[in-house]
Amino acid sequence: MNYQFLIETFFVALSGVPIALLVTVVALLVALPLGFLLALTRINKIPVIHHIAKIYVSFVRGTPIIIQIFIVYSSIPLLLKAIFEKYNITYDIYKINPIWYAFIVFAFSTTAILIEVFRSALSTIEKGQLEAAHAVGLSTFQAYRRIIIPQALVVAMPNICTATVNLIKATSLGYAMSLPEITLKAKVAANVGYNYVEAYIDIFIVYLILCSTVEYIFKRYEKYLSKFKVAKA
Amino acid sequence: MEKYFDASYIWNSIPVLLPFLKVTFLVAGSSIVLGTIFGLLLAAAKLSSIKLLQKLANLYTTIMRCTPSIVLLFLVYYGVPALAENFSINLHSIETAIFVVVTFTLQFAAIMSEVIRSAYLAINKGQFEAAVSVGLTPFQAYRRIIFPQALVIALPNFGNGMIALLQEGALAYTIGLIDIVGKANLIIASNINAHALEIYIALAIVYWVLSIIIEKFFAMLEKFFGKGKKTLETT
Amino acid sequence: MLEIKNIHKSFGDNEILKGVDLAIDKGDVVVILGPSGSGKTTLLRCINFLEKADQGHATFGDIQVDFQNVKKKDVHSIRQRVAFVFQNYNLFTNKTALENVTEGLIIGRKVPKAEAIEIGKKALDKVGLSEKYDSYPSQLSGGQQQRVGIARAVALNPDIILFDEPTSALDPELVGEVLQVMKNIAAEGTTMLVVTHEMGFAKDVANRVIFMDGGVVVEEGSPHDIFVNPKEERTKKFLKRVIPEDYTYYI
Repeated sequence: MNYQFLIETFFVALSGVPIALLVTVVALLVALPLGFLLALTRINKIPVIHHIAKIYVSFVRGTPIIIQIFIVYSSIPLLLKAIFEKYNITYDIYKINPIWYAFIVFAFSTTAILIEVFRSALSTIEKGQLEAAHAVGLSTFQAYRRIIIPQALVVAMPNICTATVNLIKATSLGYAMSLPEITLKAKVAANVGYNYVEAYIDIFIVYLILCSTVEYIFKRYEKYLSKFKVAKA
Repeated sequence: MEKYFDASYIWNSIPVLLPFLKVTFLVAGSSIVLGTIFGLLLAAAKLSSIKLLQKLANLYTTIMRCTPSIVLLFLVYYGVPALAENFSINLHSIETAIFVVVTFTLQFAAIMSEVIRSAYLAINKGQFEAAVSVGLTPFQAYRRIIFPQALVIALPNFGNGMIALLQEGALAYTIGLIDIVGKANLIIASNINAHALEIYIALAIVYWVLSIIIEKFFAMLEKFFGKGKKTLETT
Repeated sequence: MLEIKNIHKSFGDNEILKGVDLAIDKGDVVVILGPSGSGKTTLLRCINFLEKADQGHATFGDIQVDFQNVKKKDVHSIRQRVAFVFQNYNLFTNKTALENVTEGLIIGRKVPKAEAIEIGKKALDKVGLSEKYDSYPSQLSGGQQQRVGIARAVALNPDIILFDEPTSALDPELVGEVLQVMKNIAAEGTTMLVVTHEMGFAKDVANRVIFMDGGVVVEEGSPHDIFVNPKEERTKKFLKRVIPEDYTYYI
């Protein structure tokens, strides 16, 4: 065991954290509202859209994320190339920052996961809540914004936490898109002297710290939110 | 001009890929069996009255939950032989598949321990009390009353765990396992990276279909074992 | 037949039973009354070892037990003789009504299956559920579930049946059917120890009433003794609270 390498590479792995977090945050910023809207189409059985949403969720849940990455990473350049050629845009598609692919893949998969999270959370809110909101004169939109969504969020929070942790973990697959995140950075450092064991221990520790911190923050927030939970009569 | 995208590659590659599902299944199946056994032990530790055991089992689960599969895979692949070397055991010639099975056993056990624990806790304590009050021994009470009920509760989560395992297993190619993903990458390499997209789509279709089959299978099992849960027709 | 001496039980710092004595003869129908938290249910659960009593002695026929040092074998053989009816029924949710009744016979007592089924059907007939042999608990109303619970206890042909507030979880309109079943089996000479808030049942069916409060037996006697001539102040207060109108009538 090369301890000096172990310590040095720990900081190399750590330097990948901002990229991993950036991808996570962007994916969540897209997926949270989009997932919620699509969950509403599922709950309210909006024609066509809710079928598409169902197939979309089934696809994401049914295929490994690494294969989703492969598909996006090999299809988007093809698409862009075709578009660029058609409109005579001269831009080298291989200069596109891989982080854009990462945004697309992880937003795509997280949205699907959150559709299911919100759908099951919304289905636990009793119909009486909406009826009571209507009864006191709120519009449906107001009822959702002020009554239903806050309640559903409380129910969904543990699953949103799991989804976030899984998302952070999944960014480790960014290597397949040459995304310089935690895993790739440490691995590159290890390539020089074949110090793979040390490198992976570093990567392991960084994810452990990162994910348990995120879990801790969510737990605190859940505790804060739990005041909205009414004891059952 | 050569076509960028040729759908025939999708259909032509599926029959080539399918035989390699055998490797995927073998690895996943072994991990499921071993992981369930280990998970049962972990769940027993979590439910035991010994504080230290509880803490250790929970710590293990947290660590597994926080570790990406690919990191665990490489940690096992590089780390275990290195560790064994310290005890002058040579594990370098061992088959890749073994490392994959070890990795996913460790991971699946953590998932299963939570599935089993929550299923057990979902059973009302009164069921056990009623069983011993009609003269069953505690062991009989677990075997005949608690276990069958916990099984039904655990089934959907067990199914989800299996699907998750299958998908995480797709990463085994990274340490050189020639399963269905490994074969797909070989095909792509032999095409000099042309038509990679079609091969990947074929791969996605195979996985998607598999997941749907597993999902349907577990829904059926649930229906079959779920007697007493249904509130429908009275016989 | 059943004798309990000086039974004690605490949950943490909270002493629930502070030395209770109890003796029941064959054919007795004993009702335990008392405010909630008085230890009635705990007493019942300790008798069947669903809770572990801290101290005390019990005699079940030829079996003697020191609660401080209970042998597994004794627990099992006492449970074979004592049946229990739970407040929230606790029917096995994965088994039909008939299977609920036969489970203890076939598995616990090794009664041949055919014989057990016959006994089970008879027991269900007795509680008026001849139509529901193959129904699962989820398909039964609360009153029906509790009647299965009673049939399950009766089928075991135990020396005594313990009833833990058998009607408390029921909707008011379903209480009557369960009380009627209990009345019927009492009339057959079944030995019963009943914790209940149903004063009517205590008055009409019991041959002995025990009033508990604060973990001790305050007063016991015939229904007439307790309801008409209660001696203890605590008993009077309790009765006044639970049956105010009857109380003035009795005065």
